[in-house]
Amino acid sequence: MFIQQFVNGISVGSVYALMAVGYALIYSLLNFTNFAHGISVTIGAFAAFFFLTYAMQNLLSGIIMGVIAAALLAAFIQLVAYRPLLKRNSKRIFLMIIGLGVSVIGDNLIIIAFSGRFRIFPVNFSSESIKIFGANIGVVDIIIFVVSMIALLIVELIIRKTRLGLAIRGASFSLDTTSLMGVNTYKLILTIFLIAGSLAGIAGALLGAKYTTYPSLGTFYTNKAFICAVFGGLGSLPGAMIGALILGVSESMISAYVSTGLRDLFSYFILIVILLVRPSGLMGKSSENKA
Amino acid sequence: MDNYDVECALEICDVCKHFGGIIATDHINIMARSNTIFGIIGPNGAGKTTLFNLITGIYKPTSGDILLYGKSLVGKLPYEIACEGVARTFQNIRLFNDLTVYENLHIAYQKSITYTIFDGILKTKKCKEQEAKCAEISEQMLKSVGLWELKDQLARNLPYGLQRKLEIARALITNPKVMLLDEPAAGMNEEESEQLSGIIKDIRNNNDITIIVIDHHMDVIMDVCDEITVINFGKQLVTGSPYDIQNNSEVIDAYLGVGD
Repeated sequence: MFIQQFVNGISVGSVYALMAVGYALIYSLLNFTNFAHGISVTIGAFAAFFFLTYAMQNLLSGIIMGVIAAALLAAFIQLVAYRPLLKRNSKRIFLMIIGLGVSVIGDNLIIIAFSGRFRIFPVNFSSESIKIFGANIGVVDIIIFVVSMIALLIVELIIRKTRLGLAIRGASFSLDTTSLMGVNTYKLILTIFLIAGSLAGIAGALLGAKYTTYPSLGTFYTNKAFICAVFGGLGSLPGAMIGALILGVSESMISAYVSTGLRDLFSYFILIVILLVRPSGLMGKSSENKA
Repeated sequence: MDNYDVECALEICDVCKHFGGIIATDHINIMARSNTIFGIIGPNGAGKTTLFNLITGIYKPTSGDILLYGKSLVGKLPYEIACEGVARTFQNIRLFNDLTVYENLHIAYQKSITYTIFDGILKTKKCKEQEAKCAEISEQMLKSVGLWELKDQLARNLPYGLQRKLEIARALITNPKVMLLDEPAAGMNEEESEQLSGIIKDIRNNNDITIIVIDHHMDVIMDVCDEITVINFGKQLVTGSPYDIQNNSEVIDAYLGVGD
């Protein structure tokens, strides 16, 4: 029972991590939270669902379709909603409000387009399980964990090892100074949205495989991921990952040993406690760091 | 005046900048000749740094024009202006603190990198050549400012004086036509600022570059500059050689207050 719940928690936690890292990436560069992140997740799930239903019954290809759709959507939102404000050097609060608006519009457009039905992926491994140490571990949980970790590892490598990553690390310290080095910061911001969108797409497709696909899927899970990002420290990638895994496991333990109904209550309670006790989170940079 | 025989590197034509009702720069005119060192001095709040922010595209001028070798910079984005060949350092040092000394130079070399993402993934000849060139130039630059042994240190761990040097090196590696130095001698003692004067002059002598310096250290300014302009409350008081400036009564009034 314990091991099963632990694995379940790790699996949910790694999906949270995919979304939380998206929040952290954008926050670290632009110092605002992209509240329109949720619809990228939803679109990722729907793209994977339709691909699996009508084209090819192969989960990996479905995930790739989800990534493409979600990344393009994130880039589109950045170009249409955020870039005009960034060019005018608007206050970050306006960007957040725009993000909230885009999120509400997106959710409703999805309901109009696809209806509010819950849909199940034609290919999912939710009924299959393997025995490890006497515990039944769902195959879908293993897939989720492995795919998420590979994706996060790739992002980490890009940031640590490439010239793009160098620009991202520089820009997370100071966007203005980076632009004075001749780095096209608008292109850099677009790239960041593509990366965050891709991670959101993976998360959406995996959530669709584990649970079901429905229009408010993204909003519901990105709210949780946002808690993880705050818990880990907004703007910190390792913080977001650790926060996500901790929240995933604690949620899973609470629903197993206390009550399923208290699970979400617990998550939001955590958010409030962190904001009161340690607003910079586990590994967050203090806001003075940003000039 | 033989000013007009030599090419003008940076020309600031009648530039004004208003912040709401405050006039930060008021009809400023500067002509910095090619391969010279031009100084801007003035009391605190005179609008010197605002002028740098206007040149680098952080602010847009309310009116007037800024020309780099005859080409207007007004309306361009900061990164575009950086690519045109304007580099700067900051009054309060703005290194990438979380990156190493070496990485601080690499990020500034971005401008000279032309290979695409596909070259990067496939590690083509073009990519390898450019990266090798970048490594070579970074090494040369760090050795010339005496930071080579410290290349793997985080920038935040360097002592103050070395951070200044690194910031100058970072500006220089972009191979700029014009380099703006915002109070390079701030917080330095006499000996350090003397050394700095030497470095600034060396840079001008060894590169095809025009340098514009803001500073309060009169010894540095008077020592390195070929021409100086004085700004007070956003207005330009006087422009001339260091000797002219030192003997100008308006300048003395601006710094020491008007006598009765």
